[in-house]
Amino acid sequence: MLRRLCCSLLLSVLFCSAAHAADKLIVASDPTWPPLEFLDDSRQVIGYDVDMIKAVAREAGMEAEVRNIAWDGIFAGVAAGKYDIVASGVTITEERKRAFLFTKPYYDVQQIIVVKKGETVKSFEELRGRKVGGQIGTTGIFVARKSGVDMKISEYDDVGLAMQDLINGRLDAAICDSPVALYYANKKEGFSDHLAIGFRTNATEAFGFVVRKGRQDLVDKLNKGIDAVRAKGIEAELIKKWMGE
Amino acid sequence: MREDNEKELPAAPEGRIVVPAGGLRLPASPRPPVINAWSLSLVGAVAVLVFLCAVWPDPYLDILAFVPGGLLITFEVTILSICCAVPLGLLTGLGRLSRSRVINLIASTYVEVIRGIPLLVQIFYIYYALAMFLQVSSLTSAVVAISFCYGAYMGEVFRAGIMAVPKGQNEASRSLGFNRFQTMIHVILPQALRTILPPVGNECIAMLKDTSLVSVMAMPDLMQHGRSFAAKTYLYFETYTVIALIYLIITLLLSKAVNLMESRLDYYEKRK
Repeated sequence: MLRRLCCSLLLSVLFCSAAHAADKLIVASDPTWPPLEFLDDSRQVIGYDVDMIKAVAREAGMEAEVRNIAWDGIFAGVAAGKYDIVASGVTITEERKRAFLFTKPYYDVQQIIVVKKGETVKSFEELRGRKVGGQIGTTGIFVARKSGVDMKISEYDDVGLAMQDLINGRLDAAICDSPVALYYANKKEGFSDHLAIGFRTNATEAFGFVVRKGRQDLVDKLNKGIDAVRAKGIEAELIKKWMGE
Repeated sequence: MREDNEKELPAAPEGRIVVPAGGLRLPASPRPPVINAWSLSLVGAVAVLVFLCAVWPDPYLDILAFVPGGLLITFEVTILSICCAVPLGLLTGLGRLSRSRVINLIASTYVEVIRGIPLLVQIFYIYYALAMFLQVSSLTSAVVAISFCYGAYMGEVFRAGIMAVPKGQNEASRSLGFNRFQTMIHVILPQALRTILPPVGNECIAMLKDTSLVSVMAMPDLMQHGRSFAAKTYLYFETYTVIALIYLIITLLLSKAVNLMESRLDYYEKRK
């Protein structure tokens, strides 16, 4: 009798937690990438990606809970199943596709080279032998390395530190995704007075949400959510709200 | 050892000493065992590294080819920091023992303040916070931060080592006509060195490991190379295994060097 009771209790607990996990979507985001994800004054993660994944999850019948995870280990965590997805301005690349699943693209960006105000840089060639910084493990760094131009590339933990070093004069340029670069050069207090846009790369990249391999079901759900968000015009609203275009 | 000799001596008649044909031999000094913690760790680490590269050359050889680019920076920071921290530690230790109240206060305050701030915070402070007033390169910031931090720790080591020399040594030296400075240089410090060397060696090894913190300043050291490789390939397990093994091998070699120095200094303990 006791055993049956225990079994049924255990089963119900298991069932409940499984059911609970199904409607909760744990999202990892590295809030160093404004306006896609950053911290507000009360240390909450906010931004375009956060609103977008919340809307997508809602359309897919789930509730998104966004957690603040450092970029350096963000992919290791999703691979280990510590959270369900990464929504942190992740560009879909061939290398990443080999290790993870991606949803359909939800936003297109280019890379932008940011320089100090008053300087002009129009190509990687002009940066030959000079110091370029970016955030470690981001496509900006990859693009700079792949350009084939011999630059001194510094990889920072946080793109904000690279921007700070650019202002301090230790870097000649910083590279990052276009919305982030535009935010630092045009909007961010304390930075926009000192920074200017150098040039924009031609190649377009697309952001996707990252899912662990083997969770194709979740990818399908999220893709349907993205379609619904687009159809209802929520996406356009969010772009207007965060990107100001 | 005595038993050994007795066994080799032929049975002697009562009251007579018989010298064996080859003459009396001195007992051989005991050889250190071949298998000890150090050799086991080193052989183990190298074996694992070689094994991984031999069996899965695909990621591991790539990692091994990419990562050591940072070794040079790691060594550079470590050696420069040791060169700055040891003299700084000696000065601090002497300052803490000084009869002058002002010097004593300066040295003590330095130790208390620096010892109370984590190294990572110091690195951030020197590189990012002070950048508003003073622009220094990342190498300079790293060496300054690490040597200031370890200078404080070593100051305490030097102080303890100097205080461990018996007071009689000082009194004897002064009564022979040495002044305080000569006493310190010729009598106290050479004796204190024996006590100081092991903990200072320990600090140097800790320093080598702590240089991995400089990667926050975007310095391409060993750790930064590893992080960069892992961020590109998502091979976290493989990359950090190699990084850990490389750090282990370097620190083991360094600890052996400290060990050798120690054994050269133990002239009082040597067999007569």
